[in-house]
Amino acid sequence: MLRFALTRIMMAIPTLLIVAVSVFVLIRLIPGDPASLMLGDLATPASIADLRARLGLDQSLFTQFGIWFGNLLKGDLGISINSQEPILPLILARFWVSAQIVLVAVFFASLVAVPAGVIAAWRQDSTLDLGLVGAATLLLSIPTFWLGLLLLLFFGLKLEWLPVVGYVSIGDDPWRGIIYLIMPILTLFLHEIGVILRMARASTLEVLRLDYITHARAKGLSEGAVLWRHAFKNAFGPTWTLIGLVLGNLLGGIAVVETVFTIPGLGRLLVDSIFARDYPVIQGCMLFVAFCYVLVNLVIDLCYPIFDPRVTAQ
Amino acid sequence: MNRVLASAFMLAAMAGPAAAQSLTVAVAADVRSINPGVNRDDNTDDFALQMVEGLVGYNEGGVAQPLLAEKVDRSADGKTYTFTLRQGVKFHNGAELTSADVLWSWNRYMDPKTDWRCTSEFDGRSGLKVESVTAPDALTVVMTIAQPNALFLDTLARTDCAMTAIIHKDSVKPDGSFDKPIGTGPYKFGEWKRGEFFTMTAFDGYKSPKDGRADGYVGSKRPLLKEVKFLIVKDPATVKAGLTSGALDMAEILPSDVGEIRKIPKLAVATAPNAVRHVFLIQTRDAVMGNKKLRQAIAAALDMDEVVASFYNDLGKPNNSPIYSGSSYFGEVEKKGHVYDPAKAKQLVKESGYKGEKIAILANKRGTVPSFPAAVVAQQMLQAVGINAEIEVLDWATQLDRFSKGSYQMQSFSFSARFDPAIAFEQFSGPKDKQPRKVYDSAEGQAQIDKLMLITDKAQRQAIVDDLHKRIIDEVPLIFLFNGIDVMAINKRITGFQPWQSKLRMWEVTLAN
Repeated sequence: MLRFALTRIMMAIPTLLIVAVSVFVLIRLIPGDPASLMLGDLATPASIADLRARLGLDQSLFTQFGIWFGNLLKGDLGISINSQEPILPLILARFWVSAQIVLVAVFFASLVAVPAGVIAAWRQDSTLDLGLVGAATLLLSIPTFWLGLLLLLFFGLKLEWLPVVGYVSIGDDPWRGIIYLIMPILTLFLHEIGVILRMARASTLEVLRLDYITHARAKGLSEGAVLWRHAFKNAFGPTWTLIGLVLGNLLGGIAVVETVFTIPGLGRLLVDSIFARDYPVIQGCMLFVAFCYVLVNLVIDLCYPIFDPRVTAQ
Repeated sequence: MNRVLASAFMLAAMAGPAAAQSLTVAVAADVRSINPGVNRDDNTDDFALQMVEGLVGYNEGGVAQPLLAEKVDRSADGKTYTFTLRQGVKFHNGAELTSADVLWSWNRYMDPKTDWRCTSEFDGRSGLKVESVTAPDALTVVMTIAQPNALFLDTLARTDCAMTAIIHKDSVKPDGSFDKPIGTGPYKFGEWKRGEFFTMTAFDGYKSPKDGRADGYVGSKRPLLKEVKFLIVKDPATVKAGLTSGALDMAEILPSDVGEIRKIPKLAVATAPNAVRHVFLIQTRDAVMGNKKLRQAIAAALDMDEVVASFYNDLGKPNNSPIYSGSSYFGEVEKKGHVYDPAKAKQLVKESGYKGEKIAILANKRGTVPSFPAAVVAQQMLQAVGINAEIEVLDWATQLDRFSKGSYQMQSFSFSARFDPAIAFEQFSGPKDKQPRKVYDSAEGQAQIDKLMLITDKAQRQAIVDDLHKRIIDEVPLIFLFNGIDVMAINKRITGFQPWQSKLRMWEVTLAN
């Protein structure tokens, strides 16, 4: 187990390195210069050159990468061009906000969607199955910004149960903080139910067709025992992996939800930084998201043997 | 579940506006810094200028007038300016304003380490050079410039220079780094949470420059609100929901939302033209667009009323002049612009020898500017007279990059607000060899602009402005379409607020319970 974990951790290093180089090169291939953007339509060539020099953008890409990578090895992600703030604390503060939403939404979505997916597979082609699959497809198909706005209009404006705009940190005021997070969490929760339910259903269907399930039924086991003791345990593996992928994707991709609900999270920071061509922040965010992705998947993999001991055996 | 929701409702209700006279305003972007004139943008300037003030500031018509100064005397040779400070003006920390504070602030601004946006505007790099600043007594400051310059006071008052704000030396930490703005403005710095909000509170010791009505930055400026919170809300749909629910008291809205907002009983819509100019830039060095007759054909093909309506519906009016419609220099000559005449446009296209080459109009889809809708309408009109126009949509950073490099045929673009006509013309005029972003490259035109920079006599300046306007209309190096309009949704509990030059001036504003 330890060797397995160490191997996976070592494998993460080249992944992060590739991400670092790719992000650095790719964002510099996008046209648009942060200095021009900061100075706007009145920028003279001299003022742009002056600002570029102060930001270190006048040096060769190789030198810029060397400086950035050298600092990175020392744990320094640099300074934001836009806000002149150190990037790591900026990212960590924003990450904490996003993580609260993502983790809670995915946890509850899994709690609902996994059993629902198993039941849908068990009752394949029944009205219940059609209803669950239909609902999952619908939730999956609704864009999150629209779903968010619908919730905002319903709970915020029509029922007046929840605040429409603003954000309060849970650290500052736990109760109010939770109130402000309900709708963004609900939006992601509803969306992810669709994703996870479909995967849980597909995996369970696959397992239910295997010989050992027929054998279990032939032994005279009850349907409940067949489903939850035999089928569910094997079907959960792929769903568990998917949950890891969902977590990773959401961490980098909840900008839309954060924009609708005025949440100062990591996704919004990343999108704002892309529009501002704030290279160090984009690099930092991308690297951080990649790191989280690797870490989440590592945790998922380390937990996998609980459901499928063959993994450690291999 | 019902109990949870009921609790949520109660908590949400508790989170509502508890204190009277506290107002929440939605803004689309966070401020970049709280250091006036340093690492700034328009939004940052707006926040700073509620808290700090300069020796001079703009009045409603965009003319620099005394603010912290009681009066400004200009010497006969036009090189020496004597500022007499108003007595009894206090900083937010209670200290009284003296000429020593002006001197300290000036020296800090001119120190390259400060990184002030406008250092290059005063050190000779942009033509204007301040040679000396002295403080002969506690209430007098004397500034000497190298050559007479009609724009000296205007440059001091510029909002992107943060009005050359006079701040107290306690604004800076002992190590020289900036701490927080301790100015003389009607509001004091409150709290700033990056990405969330920034607040300011009323300065009880504020001494208003005038009584009566608000007038740009120099009229009556009493801070009548206890606190103002600027909440960062990016999504226009969320802004509407916030205004409707009452969580927001005021916000800029899209012109397309005006009809909907007007139907909400508790909300009103306030509009005011500003000095932003929406334009079509034309690259005269392009093989096709270098043809003057073709450019004139393009101008004649545009139905300006329709172009304005593409974004502002019935709120806006065309203005084909570089001079914004609220300027005192916007006279009868400036009102005469391009004439919509499709038949003439077709004739000019024919005479130009245009062979149907593709003309790309660059545009972006930012919701707050008319770049894309104006380009769409123009494309149809140009195609109607036989011009093969296409739209290329870019993100703003890319479009700005193409603007800076002069790499385009046409662009649907917006110029930031400039009040003085000399700066308004200089903004787009100059040698393209040295500055590819410049649009109008004419030796004769430049000579006129240079004169405009020096002359202070209004009548003489007007004659030059008129001449330059006519040149632009005739040569069509760019087409001015219309001025920007501030469109604000305001809760009817608010009185005294009037949009002005996209600035959210919170003085003289009150809020009924």
